[in-house]
Amino acid sequence: MRLSSLSALLCCLAAGSAAAGDLAFVTCQNGDALSVLDLGAGTELRRIPLPGKPAGVAVSPDGSVYTVSADSKAVRHLDATGALLAETVLDGGPIGAALDPENGHLFVSDWYNARIWVLDAETLAPVAELATGAEPAGLAIQDGLLASADRDGDMVSVFDLASLSLLHRIPVGERPFGLRFAPDGRLFVGNVGTNDVSVLDAREGVTLATLPVGERPYGVGFARGRGFVTNQYGDSVSVFDLATLEPLATIDVGEYPEGIDVSGDTIVVANWFENTVTLIDAATLEVTGTIATADGPRAFGRFIAEDPAP
Amino acid sequence: MRIPRILALLVGLLIPAMALAHGPSRQKATLSTDVAAAPAEVWSVIGNFQDMSWHPAIFSTTGQGGNEIDATRQLTLGEAGGPTIDEILYKYSAEKMSYSYRIEQVDVAVLPVTNYSGHITVTPLDSGGSHIEWKGAFYRGDPLNDPPPELNDEAAMAAVTAVYQAGLDALTERFGAAQ
Repeated sequence: MRLSSLSALLCCLAAGSAAAGDLAFVTCQNGDALSVLDLGAGTELRRIPLPGKPAGVAVSPDGSVYTVSADSKAVRHLDATGALLAETVLDGGPIGAALDPENGHLFVSDWYNARIWVLDAETLAPVAELATGAEPAGLAIQDGLLASADRDGDMVSVFDLASLSLLHRIPVGERPFGLRFAPDGRLFVGNVGTNDVSVLDAREGVTLATLPVGERPYGVGFARGRGFVTNQYGDSVSVFDLATLEPLATIDVGEYPEGIDVSGDTIVVANWFENTVTLIDAATLEVTGTIATADGPRAFGRFIAEDPAP
Repeated sequence: MRIPRILALLVGLLIPAMALAHGPSRQKATLSTDVAAAPAEVWSVIGNFQDMSWHPAIFSTTGQGGNEIDATRQLTLGEAGGPTIDEILYKYSAEKMSYSYRIEQVDVAVLPVTNYSGHITVTPLDSGGSHIEWKGAFYRGDPLNDPPPELNDEAAMAAVTAVYQAGLDALTERFGAAQ
């Protein structure tokens, strides 16, 4: 623990149970910036200029971060201070990102060309391409699997991380955009068009359940045995129990909540219109704080890096 | 260069910017005005989802469902038989004097946006007057790569801004500018 006891106390007052030292890398699309938030202190640590309308983000276990700028089509690898480690410019419509540290691959979805780029995580050089359904957006990785939400295909594509081979195409609700694996391995997919979440067994390629949530579900996160879904038009987060899949609460957050991730027992939600993140205590389901960001936070992907040296 | 119909109905202020080749980013517009009238008076004019006659570009409003969630309205622009915009109400609070709606159907030649949602809110000023805020979130008219100039990000922002400004200007005129 490197923080003073005062800082640690302030942390818990300001940010509930966010893990001290965790950083949030919030891609702010309208403001062309990366807001780096100190979740323990509840403050914006620094704001890094990031041209080209950044949306997609993927943190690395080493504390660095990958970003995807939708307009300029630039994929960047930055360290926590904002120093550029690598950069490449793609064609098409790069949007979502996910990192496979084990195999050294960064995956980037191409909205316009129904494919996922496989990039070398260190050099960002293209290694391969994977064919998806129409308009792939969100990407998620866990347990040796890569999943993409293929928005206009109304389905999820599942690939084997090691062999990069296609395993399944699973029909879901209308216009899936964001998705994430739960700690238990099930895959949760927000369907923007049908206002529900598809629960999938991605390895078997089957749908286990469909949960109604709020208006325009965008992102999914998990903490304390609960699932949290940002409702972009609802200005809210739907909470459900992971074991029973029963709804637990609807929590008011900022306007147009989008990206969602977890730090310790704290759920962090990026509010695109309001230029803030909302912190939610996953145990009490109370809002414990907000932190200002640059204009238009999307945080589309895994955007919270655990303190690399706690 | 085709000018969106709604702008032709307002003023010819659209200066198209050069199109850049890029993927779609959602745009946001926030405009506001401060007027002298009390919030309740302002809300009585603009708080009815079924009556948008306060906006100078709107010829008529027809719809169903009053101010209930999922109520619909069709706005006819300019004149009888003019172009139309179909909208649906998805949030409404008389208490907070706020409503949110989205466009279900519009020709991008009329209003060059897609995936549009809007919010109108009235809040009190210390002076006894009202702060009227109109906010929108939307994508450009052509969500594909390399859109033509009349359907790009700048065209979408210019069109929405012009619509909001015209509406707020009319309200400022109607209720008087806040002192």
